[in-house]
Amino acid sequence: MMHLKISKIIKGEDVDKTFKSEEATSVSRRDFFKRTASVSAVAAVSILAPGALFADDINIMEHTKWGTTLGDECNYNPYGLPSKYEHNVVRRTSALMSSAGDMHAAISMSPLHELSGIITPNGLHFTRTHNGVAHVDPNKYRLMIHGLVDKPIVLTLEQLKKYPSESRILFLECPSNGAAEWKGPQFNSLQFVKGMMSCSEWTGVRIKTILDELGLKPNARWMLAEGSDGSEMSRTVPVEKVLDDAMIVWAQNGEALRPEQGYPVRLMLPGWEANLCVKWLKRLKFGEEPWYAKEETSKYTVLTASGRSIQHFYANEVNSIITSPCPEKPWTDLKVGDLVEIEGLAWSGHGTITNVDISFDGGKNWREVNLKGLVLPKAWTRFSYMYKYEGKPLLLQSRAVDDSNNVQPTVNQEKEVVGVEGVYHRNAICTWEVNAKGEVNNVQVRS
Amino acid sequence: MFKLDHKSILIGISVVASTALLLTGCLSSPSSTNSSAKAQSNELTGPYAGKLGAIDGGVIYPRENGMYTAYVLNEQSTEGINHGRVPTENELNAWNLDALPDGTGLPEGEGSVEEGDELYEANCASCHGDFGGGGHGYPQLAGGNQDKDENGIVKTLKNQRLEPGMDAPKRTVGTFWPKATTLFTYIRDAMPYAHPKSLSNDENYALTAYILAQNGIKIDGEKMTDEYVLNAEKLAKVVLPNNDGFYPNIDGPEGPANVKAFFADRAKNIGAGVRCMTDCKDPGMEAAGAKEAELVRIDYEMADVVPPYSTVRDLPPESEDVTISKAEKMYNESCKLCHSSDRMGAPAVGDVQAWGSVTKKGFDQVLRNSIDGMGGMPPKGGNDSLTSDEVKSIVEFMIDSSK
Repeated sequence: MMHLKISKIIKGEDVDKTFKSEEATSVSRRDFFKRTASVSAVAAVSILAPGALFADDINIMEHTKWGTTLGDECNYNPYGLPSKYEHNVVRRTSALMSSAGDMHAAISMSPLHELSGIITPNGLHFTRTHNGVAHVDPNKYRLMIHGLVDKPIVLTLEQLKKYPSESRILFLECPSNGAAEWKGPQFNSLQFVKGMMSCSEWTGVRIKTILDELGLKPNARWMLAEGSDGSEMSRTVPVEKVLDDAMIVWAQNGEALRPEQGYPVRLMLPGWEANLCVKWLKRLKFGEEPWYAKEETSKYTVLTASGRSIQHFYANEVNSIITSPCPEKPWTDLKVGDLVEIEGLAWSGHGTITNVDISFDGGKNWREVNLKGLVLPKAWTRFSYMYKYEGKPLLLQSRAVDDSNNVQPTVNQEKEVVGVEGVYHRNAICTWEVNAKGEVNNVQVRS
Repeated sequence: MFKLDHKSILIGISVVASTALLLTGCLSSPSSTNSSAKAQSNELTGPYAGKLGAIDGGVIYPRENGMYTAYVLNEQSTEGINHGRVPTENELNAWNLDALPDGTGLPEGEGSVEEGDELYEANCASCHGDFGGGGHGYPQLAGGNQDKDENGIVKTLKNQRLEPGMDAPKRTVGTFWPKATTLFTYIRDAMPYAHPKSLSNDENYALTAYILAQNGIKIDGEKMTDEYVLNAEKLAKVVLPNNDGFYPNIDGPEGPANVKAFFADRAKNIGAGVRCMTDCKDPGMEAAGAKEAELVRIDYEMADVVPPYSTVRDLPPESEDVTISKAEKMYNESCKLCHSSDRMGAPAVGDVQAWGSVTKKGFDQVLRNSIDGMGGMPPKGGNDSLTSDEVKSIVEFMIDSSK
């Protein structure tokens, strides 16, 4: 083995230790990010300093532990898990997302700041439950379809999966995504500002394929979808949507649905609020009149300033968010003149993203940026812009447009029509304040 | 006008050239008569201009020429596909429990307000508070001012917390819920919270009666006293104060069409932006009477999140794996490669016979061989960093596992 004497070495491991001890005493998330930033800034300066100050990196100069020992056996973990080092890439929740801290009727948020591309790994998909996560025995699972059909049926899981499947990459978003921010910014975190959403490839059968054989009666206007969990989550769905693109899905990113996403079967209404995509699906009933289930009356209705409420508010509207930079991923390690990618996500339950604009001055001036990767209807769409960092304060915004000509509103435009007590379906433009140090804070431009 | 603006961007006219058009777009009202006319016909604007929109106002993508948007389709016929079976009458009855606001589907049974009071105290009060008054973090069921304005709107639902300290609109059964049948079916199906579906229909009617009574609801003009007995017929007659507080109208044959018309005019009904590119003024801000938009920062940061925020990539704190001893771990790392089977000539762990002949030499000798090496085995199995004590614990583990 090589032995080297190096006077100036970047002690990678020491930096790790610094992190640990600082993390342990960290009380404020803002302080925490500041410290993270300062440590990485030191490392960056050391690496990029002029020749004479170059220090040899111990990570290059010495053999690594993983290069000098036998690794784990090939199938040491029969169901693979992420690297142990990724243990902070997890869903997070807050007592504010629950009833009195009870986490059975609560929400956990996807770590959007750590996601790449448009597919959310199943273990990081946001979760929302009304009576805890149900664990359905697939052998005892039954799905009943009845009401205004010529022939009602009941299916086992295996029988359901005999129907021809289609796969779609679709986002799912809780209509409460961003609901904490109607009256002003509250969380300094991308994960908590927009993390009640995820995007997956879902596989199942179009409901129309089944209905074609059951014979839907012409007077059927609505479908009741009912879950089998303790909350017996029920929603009323217009038949028009059912016949257009509704699916009964059993797979998520190539494997069975996770229990948190409704294992073994959930309803999938592309582009519509996730609450309508009933999990642990038990029953579909067709009828003439709407049911007025609890989660479409007392909740999931949008109370406007008029004192009246919008009901049957289905689609998640055109929306976007800049994911890099963000409060969790600041620009504190950048030098003036560095070229850096501004990246983000755009989505619309009404269709396909056609354009995304970004603003550096809080919405006064805008420029169109590029979409990248797959651009699919009712799916996350990535946008990208190469930016030369100037070290100046910015008010970064993104604004999405879709192919049914929806343009994402400003906070004030949305407030003007809906008020601030609507809870659901908030899609106003978000603002990240990038300060002179490159730190990123969640702010709002509003009056 | 919006259509024109949008197209000018889509066909790639430079931003400068289209600025004039875009600026006029900025200044126009989002709820112009133009877009109302569009609502009547439910036609889309933008790239799908002229096509009919979906019920939510969005695009209906065609399935044609073997494609659905970017997805390739198998277009073979599925006619005659037939899986599953027809449910029996009893199975249908067991699950067909939903009820409509007109009372269709409500089960038989009855319960009094007084019975409901006792049940409520025992099953509900710990979460929903005394008399349904809330205060325990779970939804408040009763209370709130039900007074209406001249248009029949519950006045307190117009509360908007635009400034700190303002009153919130209260969303209880009495002030907000539109339908009383929902209360019954929800209690029956989803309550009590930790033991859903554990109450009888009589008990569910009693609880429904109690909560309606706490909200001061009258049925057919009759006050719900303690003795009042609720059943399906009476429940269907309840008209809650906020019954007319929801739109669009979803009832009757025109229900879906009403919804479609509502979402066709999204700018007016749910709010929409305009695609201004330069020197933009915020139309919503002007409507609110403000000259200059202000920057609002976080006043009180919600930082109490679980697990705590961190983007660090380090090793997590070592969790004690009680299912595996330290000796076994060291064995896995340094010895298992050769000792997991006899293919390399080493005695396989678990092979009683092989280890019987090894241990005949006596433990001290076996340990010495392990430390010094023997035959094909290098000293300490080739892992120089093991201490003699560690080797000892590994040998003990191997012997114990081979008895």
